[in-house]
Amino acid sequence: MKRIELVRSGSGGCVPAAGAARLGLFFTLSLLLGGCATYSETFTPVERKLAAQQPEHALQLLEKRRHSRRDEVLYLLNKGMLLRMTRDYEASNQAFEAAKRRINELYGASITEQAASFIINDGTRSFVGAEFEQVLVHLYMALNYLEMRQLDQARVEALQVDIRLREIAEHVPESAYTEDAFARYLTGIIYEERGEWSDAMIAYRKAYQSYNKYHDRFGTEIPVFLKYDLLRLSERMGLTQELARYKREFSISQWQDVASLRRQGELIFMLHNGLAPKKREQSAMVINPQSGRLIRVSLPEYQPRPQPVLRARLIVDGDRVRTQVAEDITGIAIKSLEAKMPAITARAVARAVLKDQTAKQAGKQHELAGLMVNLMNVMTERADTRSWATLPGNIHFARLPLPPGNYAVKVELLGSGDAVLATRELSNITIRAGEKNYYSYHWIPSRL
Amino acid sequence: MRRYREQFTRFHVIPLALILSLLQVGCATSVTRMDAGEVKDLSGAWNDTDSRLVSEEMIQDVLSRSWLQQYVRAQRKQPTVIVGEIRNLSHEHINVNTFVADMERSLINSGKVEFVASRTERQDVREEREDQDLHAREDTRKAMGQEIGADFMLKGTINTIVDPSGTKQVRYYQVNLTLISMADNRKVWVGQKEIKKLVKRSKLRF
Repeated sequence: MKRIELVRSGSGGCVPAAGAARLGLFFTLSLLLGGCATYSETFTPVERKLAAQQPEHALQLLEKRRHSRRDEVLYLLNKGMLLRMTRDYEASNQAFEAAKRRINELYGASITEQAASFIINDGTRSFVGAEFEQVLVHLYMALNYLEMRQLDQARVEALQVDIRLREIAEHVPESAYTEDAFARYLTGIIYEERGEWSDAMIAYRKAYQSYNKYHDRFGTEIPVFLKYDLLRLSERMGLTQELARYKREFSISQWQDVASLRRQGELIFMLHNGLAPKKREQSAMVINPQSGRLIRVSLPEYQPRPQPVLRARLIVDGDRVRTQVAEDITGIAIKSLEAKMPAITARAVARAVLKDQTAKQAGKQHELAGLMVNLMNVMTERADTRSWATLPGNIHFARLPLPPGNYAVKVELLGSGDAVLATRELSNITIRAGEKNYYSYHWIPSRL
Repeated sequence: MRRYREQFTRFHVIPLALILSLLQVGCATSVTRMDAGEVKDLSGAWNDTDSRLVSEEMIQDVLSRSWLQQYVRAQRKQPTVIVGEIRNLSHEHINVNTFVADMERSLINSGKVEFVASRTERQDVREEREDQDLHAREDTRKAMGQEIGADFMLKGTINTIVDPSGTKQVRYYQVNLTLISMADNRKVWVGQKEIKKLVKRSKLRF
């Protein structure tokens, strides 16, 4: 735990008796603060179970933990994700659906929570998740439905993604995250499987636009699979000019047309790689030299985790296909917190001023009261480190057209220098003509 | 220190009592029985009232149209209907079984239309019949191959258009049901019910 600690004594250089007492208080405080952990720190045991490749135990641990009503969304999101890792898709979707309902209930700003966040800390507010987390709920629900082969239900989620993204674009126009490329891409694939070509085309187009933005912001390459999808569908829909433009932009001259792809099936593989960055607290504590009171300001900060797996390689019948990053959750999380930092900082500073005033007022009544209030104020000044920590760090993706039949697929996870870090055999994958077979692989490194 | 304690008792007991009484309100689970016909919209999502409105409208429509009389006149028997797939193309996870069951019940009870069991129900019945073949007394045994083939299939879709803006949202639901003749794919009846809602969400909560 790293903490910036600044202590400044009075300008005279000699510390008066009261000042010495305060210094003592200061050291006790930092000891006390060390003992009372932030939310993300208390979540570490669950993460350790995941790193030990035991999602079932992680789930048990999560369910045993007490959580307050204001953390309910967070609990449900984590629960849904852990259930998904244990391949209980139905229960996972129940948890996600409950989370969605609660997020909608928490739409309005709470008067009491807002007030408390100005007096105590930001953690007193109900957790509703960042915008990207709210969209990813729909994405993971859609994936659960797809893995249960319930295409119509997945389509419901695809429509909800659209509504949610429209709301976000209107709500927070200045935000770094207004479109989700991978969510758009997945909705396109869902529409395409159902033969809704125009909806699929629109979704692919939006995915392409937002991948261009992803490229600028997070350095995510535009997946080559999407390029083929755009070419195939613009050809199918007779969009000659658009097709010519894509051909020029991608410099691809050959692709599989819609009819021949429909005679084949497809394996859609996703690697949910590692864990999302962790929020931690960054605090500064100073002694105001004039008043001798302690002032503490705590702000949240994302700390990226090591991502040893750089890509995955699928081996089917001697063919090798490499995955590409489709969603850089780490990058999105960091950028979207950055966009929120001015507001969070402003609130923290306002809170520090207010807290100092209360201590001053109490101190006028009685010196001990002032000291106690000051102590309480500093103790309660904690950063809001809640985030959906069981999300992967990034999502890798590959689309693989295959003739109908049974397949055994070998998945190799590659680290730097293409060293194979882990392998998994997916046996008995049945590919049917015109259908897409979704397969998700959650991989969490043993060292977090 | 005594002055301190006096102040505490005077100023802090009253708000403390207030907070406690507020907390207590939220604690107990309460259940209120409601009439099944009562309209209660909570979140603005598809609910029992919508389902009921759809089934009422559809039943009235399907029984009053000419396809029924025409069929009875031509075939001199009542039409047999099977429920096919009702696709949910809306943005909500809607349970379509509620209004399909409503329709089925009203149509059967009207005495004008007969229904045959749907695909999944049939599977169950067939398994039971196979079991009868082995275990039931001969005079009570039901023979295989005596099922009635349906004349019409009821198919449908639910579609939605959502227009969100700020705290307001207009939700438009359109339920389309079609009765298709099994013999020649003719659509003999198309029913439609539209529902439109304006959902306003509060910017503030307690």
